[in-house]
Amino acid sequence: MRYLMLVLSTPDAPAEPVNVPEIEDWVRDTYGTGRAILGDRLRPPADAVGVQVRSGEVVVTDGPFSETKEVIAGFDILDAPDLDEAIRIAAAHPMAHTGAVELRPFWPLELDGDAAAAGSDAEAR
Amino acid sequence: MTDVGQAVTAAFRDEWGRVLAAVARSTGDLDLAEDCAQEAFAVALRTWQRDGVPDRPGAWLTTTARNRALDRLRRRKVEAEKVAVSARLTERLDPDAADPASEAADAVDAGTGWAGVEPEDPDGDLLRLVFTCCHPALPLEGRVALTLRSLTGMTTAQVARAFLVPETTMAQRLTRAKRKIRTTGIAFRVPPPELLRERVSAVLAVLYVLFTEGYDAWAEPADDVAGAEERRALADDAVRVARLVARLLPDEPEARGLLSLLLLQHARRLARLGAAPDVAPRTLEEQDRSLWRHDEIADGLTVLDDALAARRAGPYQVQAAIAALHARAASADETDWAEIAALYDVLVDMTRSPVVALNRAVAVGMLRGPEAGLAELDDVASAPELAAYHLLPAMRADLLRRAGRPVEAAAEYRRALEQVDREGDRRLLSRRLAALRTAK
Repeated sequence: MRYLMLVLSTPDAPAEPVNVPEIEDWVRDTYGTGRAILGDRLRPPADAVGVQVRSGEVVVTDGPFSETKEVIAGFDILDAPDLDEAIRIAAAHPMAHTGAVELRPFWPLELDGDAAAAGSDAEAR
Repeated sequence: MTDVGQAVTAAFRDEWGRVLAAVARSTGDLDLAEDCAQEAFAVALRTWQRDGVPDRPGAWLTTTARNRALDRLRRRKVEAEKVAVSARLTERLDPDAADPASEAADAVDAGTGWAGVEPEDPDGDLLRLVFTCCHPALPLEGRVALTLRSLTGMTTAQVARAFLVPETTMAQRLTRAKRKIRTTGIAFRVPPPELLRERVSAVLAVLYVLFTEGYDAWAEPADDVAGAEERRALADDAVRVARLVARLLPDEPEARGLLSLLLLQHARRLARLGAAPDVAPRTLEEQDRSLWRHDEIADGLTVLDDALAARRAGPYQVQAAIAALHARAASADETDWAEIAALYDVLVDMTRSPVVALNRAVAVGMLRGPEAGLAELDDVASAPELAAYHLLPAMRADLLRRAGRPVEAAAEYRRALEQVDREGDRRLLSRRLAALRTAK
């Protein structure tokens, strides 16, 4: 399964985190074993560019769309046999110790049954 | 009920979890496994009538459920191939993507069959099922409901009644939990060693929530609270599942610690409510101890000794040790408060929980007097976790009452009554408040 791993920096970072792994070790272990496919740091929100099309016009805006306390600082695309392996990889990332990591499973288009189920959920809400 | 009907009912109670777990391992799909297990029981009801009850009902049901799963997987595979052809045309499909269901169907088609891919392992399957249902990536209420549904064979309607929600709400809660297992890639297996300790805690926490849901109902009058009987039965179910989990995890003393804690608490159930006309909960101090189930207490004490022998203490073992001290005291006056307060010190260190600290303050109040208890209570009262917790003013009120400060006690009982959401506790607080008024 593939997961988008969002690496977040959070305002409530622990003052003195202990046993934080080195990013070099994480990259070596994760990319070296083929568990991660692609990833990078991201420029800060001030460099974000919003793009929308409204009434046929391209509307470009400065900054991110949602002002959240958490900032997406980077991402990695993981390829793991199951969620627990993805959790293990996420927990070994230094930012899991000083910020937060969010795993989002890929939702491939061929899973039509899921699309239908998600639709009925939205109606129920 | 006919003999066959009874046999199926008994098989349902004893074998549901195993049948479900075996098919879930074969297919990696809990939803499919549930449908097929249900069908197998329906088939049993029809064919056992005609052919008689088989020697090993569980094995018969498992085979039948697996064959059903196989039929469905074959059909799904044919459809998937159709989809794959069209997907290849649009180059969207990842050709290497593994699908356990189609792999299972492939194995069968290749002639290896179910037997070739999986030796029988009923206990292992049950353990995998427990860990899957209690995976911390699922919402807590989904975990609790799914554990109950999967391990006891209760129907969705029965689970809904026990949790006082409409059946459609419960069906949706279960469906969402099962879907999340599938869409997030939660594997049907026992977690790897580096995650095991945390996951065992997660399983035990779910069982404790389940038990508490039922145990709370034992402090409510059964007649005038909706669904009380069904809710009370949850406590029995939780004890059953905890016993199973303790057996499946022999190297985890905390699993036995939890079982012991549940047995020792559950043993008090018949003493928890006062007799008419004052049908309000009785505190430990007020309970008629002859109503305690002393056979179950003996069982709980044995399980606790067994857990402690591993010399790896944990929060459930400590809580069980506290419950054991209450259980061993012939009367409330003979309670060993010094030992209980000492155990609460250990528990506060282990959990850092303000709720535990609150209970510790009560124990200190019993040991060294209510003023000492109040001082301890004030130390923890500002914790944000306790902001809307009705037991904070309730415990302060009890200490003030013991300290001979009835006016302040009454004010705290009233504050607690504003925050309480459980019927049992509400009645207890009202009774205490009324008693203060008559004493004046």
